[in-house]
Amino acid sequence: MPEPIVEAVDVAKVYQLGKTQVHALRHVDLVVERGEFLSIAGPSGSGKTTLLNLIGGVDVPSSGTVRVDGEDTSKLTERALTRLRLDHIGFIFQTFNLVAVLTVFQNVEFPLLLQGRMSSDDRRRRVNALLEAVGLADHARHRPSELSGGQRQRVAVARALVANPPLVLADEPTANLDSVTGGHIIDLMREMNRRDGTTFIFSTHDPKVMSHASAIVRLEDGRVVGRETAQGAEAR
Amino acid sequence: MIATDLFIAARNLARHTRRNLLLASAIGGVTAMLVLLGGLTTGMREAMLHSATTLMTGHVNLAGFFKITSGTAAPIVAGWEKPWDAVKDRIPELDYMAPRGRGWAKAVADGGSMDLVLAGVELSREPGFHKVIQVVDGSLEELGKPGTILLFQDQAKRLGVKPGDTLTLSAPTTRGASNTADVRVAAVARNIGLLSAFNAFIPADTLRQLYQLKAGTTGAVQIYLKDPADSAKVAARLRAALRDAGWRVMDPDPQPYWQKLMFKVNAEDWTGQKLDVTTWEDEMSFLSWIVTAVTWLGNVLVTVLMVIVAVGIVNTLAIAIRERTREIGTLRAIGMQRTQVLRLTLLEAFLLGLGGAVAGALLGAAVGAGLNGAGIELPETMQYFLLQRNLHLAIHPGQVAVYVAFVTALTTVAASWPSAYAARMRPVTAMHHVG
Ligand SMILES: Nc1ncnc2c1ncn2[C@@H]1O[C@H](COP(=O)(O)OP(=O)(O)OP(=O)(O)O)[C@@H](O)[C@H]1O
Ligand SMILES: [Mg+2]
Repeated sequence: MPEPIVEAVDVAKVYQLGKTQVHALRHVDLVVERGEFLSIAGPSGSGKTTLLNLIGGVDVPSSGTVRVDGEDTSKLTERALTRLRLDHIGFIFQTFNLVAVLTVFQNVEFPLLLQGRMSSDDRRRRVNALLEAVGLADHARHRPSELSGGQRQRVAVARALVANPPLVLADEPTANLDSVTGGHIIDLMREMNRRDGTTFIFSTHDPKVMSHASAIVRLEDGRVVGRETAQGAEAR
Repeated sequence: MIATDLFIAARNLARHTRRNLLLASAIGGVTAMLVLLGGLTTGMREAMLHSATTLMTGHVNLAGFFKITSGTAAPIVAGWEKPWDAVKDRIPELDYMAPRGRGWAKAVADGGSMDLVLAGVELSREPGFHKVIQVVDGSLEELGKPGTILLFQDQAKRLGVKPGDTLTLSAPTTRGASNTADVRVAAVARNIGLLSAFNAFIPADTLRQLYQLKAGTTGAVQIYLKDPADSAKVAARLRAALRDAGWRVMDPDPQPYWQKLMFKVNAEDWTGQKLDVTTWEDEMSFLSWIVTAVTWLGNVLVTVLMVIVAVGIVNTLAIAIRERTREIGTLRAIGMQRTQVLRLTLLEAFLLGLGGAVAGALLGAAVGAGLNGAGIELPETMQYFLLQRNLHLAIHPGQVAVYVAFVTALTTVAASWPSAYAARMRPVTAMHHVG
């Protein structure tokens, strides 16, 4: 049995807000197996974003451990943590977060350039294959500002997948999209999950979006209050 | 990656055209100032060098002092052809050379009297002389005849003489007695600033007669090089060669000969002939404060401007980076290292600085060329210090390139503070920052 892609043990995250302490997460234990298509659900302020940040290595827990692909994130240097994000994790953001001055092609290519491993020919093939997969082959030369929200999020999906990471994190990837477009994005993510076995973890408020998940982890007030498998989820 | 960095940096600059254009023009303005001020000081330096080396000193001088007793020094080289023969084959940089008599005399005429520093010239050996001296009355040829003198306008006015008039020179000879000579004014030349205050020219033979010196005696062999920048090198070589040939040679000392004569040589305990090899910079050291002062003034001005521009750069970049908080956070989240963020923002400042500086340098060079072309005559007092009549800026490409590099580097350094801030930005800001 291979090790889980994500393993969080007794994780807490406390934010200092002036004089008060905000307990964004308390005693969270979570195991995500490779190939899962996991949804994190919960009301606003329940800690979804915080949890994704800890898994993504953009932040480290106040206590407890988070292991991603075998690495304990709080034991890594800033440099190594950045490298972990680059090589092992893809990110999809609620607000798309594309680089405005770069074209669609250049945005998708960017992680490969940061990795600096591929020749420019290989990069071009890889980027074009992904743009094909997300249905934007004709928009390679456009700038993000010339695209619709749904198209931008497709670019983001392509960027998250381009370096072939074992794990993709998406914080409310559909929140800024209408439900039809959002549904298309989730379908696209699911397709990539099935095709490549890439693990996806995404947060959402939307029950319709959740229904695509292979499992749902429910958060409330910074705690995990339940985990449902696919059958349960689809029954809702 | 560097291509993409360049691309992003350039596009980022283009994104806020107005703000960046403003900053680039400030950077350009400072560079233009630098180029013009640099051109002015270099122009002064070159004009001084040219006028002064033609009239008062060679690029390198084979000179010396002769002491009959240890307290009576004369600035002469007896039998100058011997030491010259010993070294003349060692100067491949040589353009031409001319022996010059050195002396000092009181000039008395009907209209008044004054002290003059006399140079004994052989016009036929000094091709540069005609180019620097502008005769306003009389003729330079007359100075080739014995018993004549060339004065500058102010001197002629002070003595109340014009070409054809006679004045009497009275000088102390090496033997302590005083000797006099009557000389006819050959020509009156246009003032050349400070240089024309005390210097006058008489034929070399006339000077020797005044001082009762033998034919082979001169004050200095003035050596002119193809490139004056070689002076120090050549001087050192000559010093060594003369020592090897058995001459007594004085150690290098950056003072003009007359200062050595008045304050130094007489206090030393030796007699006979000593040689002294000097450069034009040694002989002109008493004038170099002018260049220093102008350079200094310019530097203060430019420093103030640069501080203002640096503050502008820091501010503008800080704004640009704050606006890009989420973008930088995103790049950090997807795996960009801090050093790469730093490089990206520094590159942006570098491009801005380079663009502004190049434009400013071109502008400065164009304005400089315009000023030179206009032939603006300097006010009298400035002519006096600048040793030149018309405003002339010497703008050399190499120097301009140095200014461009300097301003670009300064811009990049000023940007390091906001860039470091950008690099420290945490990737979470990609998620939290709204807007
Ligand atoms: N940087 C921060 N500083 C202080 N408190 C924070 C910070 N980030 C999050 N919090 C707090 O931590 C708690 C969890 O926030 P989080 O953003 O993880 O919730 P969420 O489930 O993602 O909410 P939403 O559905 O609104 O996005 C909230 O109470 C929030 O106010
Ligand atoms: Mg959230």
